[in-house]
Amino acid sequence: MAPQQPLVNLSPAELSFLRSTLAQSPPIRLDVTKGPRDFRSMRAEYDVLPAANGSARIALEDGTEALVGVKAEVERSRPRPTLGEQEEVATAAGGAADESRGKGQNSWVEMSVEVPGFREDDALPVFLASMLTESLLASGELKDRLYINTRFHWKLYVDILLLSPPLSYPLALLSMTTHLALLTTHLPALKSEKDEDPLFDDDWAAAVPLYPNRADANKTAPQLGKPPVIILAMAVGSNIIFDPAKEELAVADAVLAVACTNSTSSSTGARIVSIRTIDPPSHLTPPGVPNSINSATGGTVPTSSADALTQRELLANSGVWTPPRGGMKRGLVSQITKMVVESGGVAEEVIGALAAIEVG
Amino acid sequence: MAMNTDRRRNNAPSGGTGAPVFARTIREPEYLENLRPSRSRGPNELRRIFLQTSIIPSASGSAYLEIPSSSPATSSTLIPPTSSLKITASIQGPKPLPRSAPFSPTLLLTTTVKFAPFATRHRRGYIRDSAERDLGVHLETALRGVIIGERWPKSGVDVVVTILEGDEDGWWGDSTSEGSATGSGWGLLNVLAGCITVASAAITDAGIDCVDVVCGGVAAITRNTESRQDKELARVLDPCPAEHKEVVAACVVGYLASRDEITEIWMKGDVGSDPDGLVEGATHAAVGSLAVVKEVLLEALQTKFQGQLEGNEGGLKRKAQDVEMTG
Repeated sequence: MAPQQPLVNLSPAELSFLRSTLAQSPPIRLDVTKGPRDFRSMRAEYDVLPAANGSARIALEDGTEALVGVKAEVERSRPRPTLGEQEEVATAAGGAADESRGKGQNSWVEMSVEVPGFREDDALPVFLASMLTESLLASGELKDRLYINTRFHWKLYVDILLLSPPLSYPLALLSMTTHLALLTTHLPALKSEKDEDPLFDDDWAAAVPLYPNRADANKTAPQLGKPPVIILAMAVGSNIIFDPAKEELAVADAVLAVACTNSTSSSTGARIVSIRTIDPPSHLTPPGVPNSINSATGGTVPTSSADALTQRELLANSGVWTPPRGGMKRGLVSQITKMVVESGGVAEEVIGALAAIEVG
Repeated sequence: MAMNTDRRRNNAPSGGTGAPVFARTIREPEYLENLRPSRSRGPNELRRIFLQTSIIPSASGSAYLEIPSSSPATSSTLIPPTSSLKITASIQGPKPLPRSAPFSPTLLLTTTVKFAPFATRHRRGYIRDSAERDLGVHLETALRGVIIGERWPKSGVDVVVTILEGDEDGWWGDSTSEGSATGSGWGLLNVLAGCITVASAAITDAGIDCVDVVCGGVAAITRNTESRQDKELARVLDPCPAEHKEVVAACVVGYLASRDEITEIWMKGDVGSDPDGLVEGATHAAVGSLAVVKEVLLEALQTKFQGQLEGNEGGLKRKAQDVEMTG
């Protein structure tokens, strides 16, 4: 395999400097105007693609830009063998919400991620697509919403396009764009009943939103949460920094992606649908050579490789850059998740900000 | 996805084959429910683990892990009630990078996770699909923090993990009738935990410098529909997805016990606002498998040194004889 290109070209001295500024209290970020919980500013718009059921575009200030289109198609469900008596005939009189519950299948949502410079089966697009898919499907509400009747269902295609090269780790950007696109997705209103061949209202104004707004939702429709957003957090020393830039990621001790959606039980706070660790690129950075073992700066070169190893191990805290080892402490994981989901936490802020885009 | 279709072989239909539906299950639906396996272990009890290192002589390190099926086979049906987990891992390297490769200051780690075509109920193709690639990324994340990569500049190591039998996502009876269990991916978490444990044992067998032995463990929150107080959630360690009708959330961790650190978390499902309990359960499961790994590595070391000791003695004798003959 061809070795991965390091994300940034920083020397060991620069890495060491960056790390010590981020690890001090309070941390000084690369963009000094931002605090540890501040996100980069962005420009967002929705309904940009006229041929899609829902779409959105978000551009970050560093030039990264993503475009998401959501399309829905009616598809014939595969007939499944029914075991036992045909009980469904008797119970079909129940509410429409009850009828579709638990009938959805994970294969009804298909997601594709395209990142320029990567093949579609490379590690990065595959990882991004599976994280986005599993957070979308975690609650099971979305796939039940795609159920039409016993013979037909909606198939939802979510196509995610990163328009710029991946300047920083694009997971958070892609998930926010997907969130906005799904919020604005509308499906044509169904006119046929029960197990008839589906017939739809051709008036686009009558289309129903995929994620109905809480305020104008009628009582019979099932209450849905918002689509999930993924929040990227990194740890440097004891500091936790959200939405890290590319250079900041290069000195991270650990990186965590937390996918969460708004909580259905209370109006504040959020709930987690998925967590993944991301391999920090700092593991691939070159270690620095201290002056004491560099003959060019007046040091003495170690005589044997074993001697060099011991010398290297001794300078763990000397400020000379060494790539971080090991993982993250368990307490740090719970600290990050708490900062994300708590009432007034980062997740609530992000979901609220994205909802404001739709209204405004 | 034109790239991913396999055009070189005559492949079986992609749909796969379903489990046969017998006339008796149509006539009496409760018969099928009789066959449903249930968890006979305690909620904090793990399945038994078999682990062996140095099984592939040509690789620099290798290991084999097996978690046998926990439910006893019934005589009334031919279909096993639960699946078992069988994974092999082999390590190639550390070896020098090819001349054409650019300079790398650290050891380049490549992880390949592949299901054997016969590993699951649905046949897997010869080309890796997205789930397998995703597992590969997870395994790489779990191992990258453990290996001290800066000691091998300009070299690479390949970790090749083959899954001979994978855990299923749910009980086979559910997957034909409801269909909601298909593709839920709960079995993948168990597979990943096994991959982390077996790859870690193989890396130790290969003698690559590590900060600790990383071990995988799984915990899950299941909804117990059998008991009358319905909607009761219970946390179980090392869940076998076939034994639980509904899994709400699950978490796998790669855990470094002596440093109390986590290199890999993969949590999914409706976790709620407090994931700490789930992470803690998964680390407990990881500590359980660490006990097995430690024993096995110690045993392998003892047999290795014993063999070396005997080999040395034999060599001395032969040398002495040689001296006699030449002298």
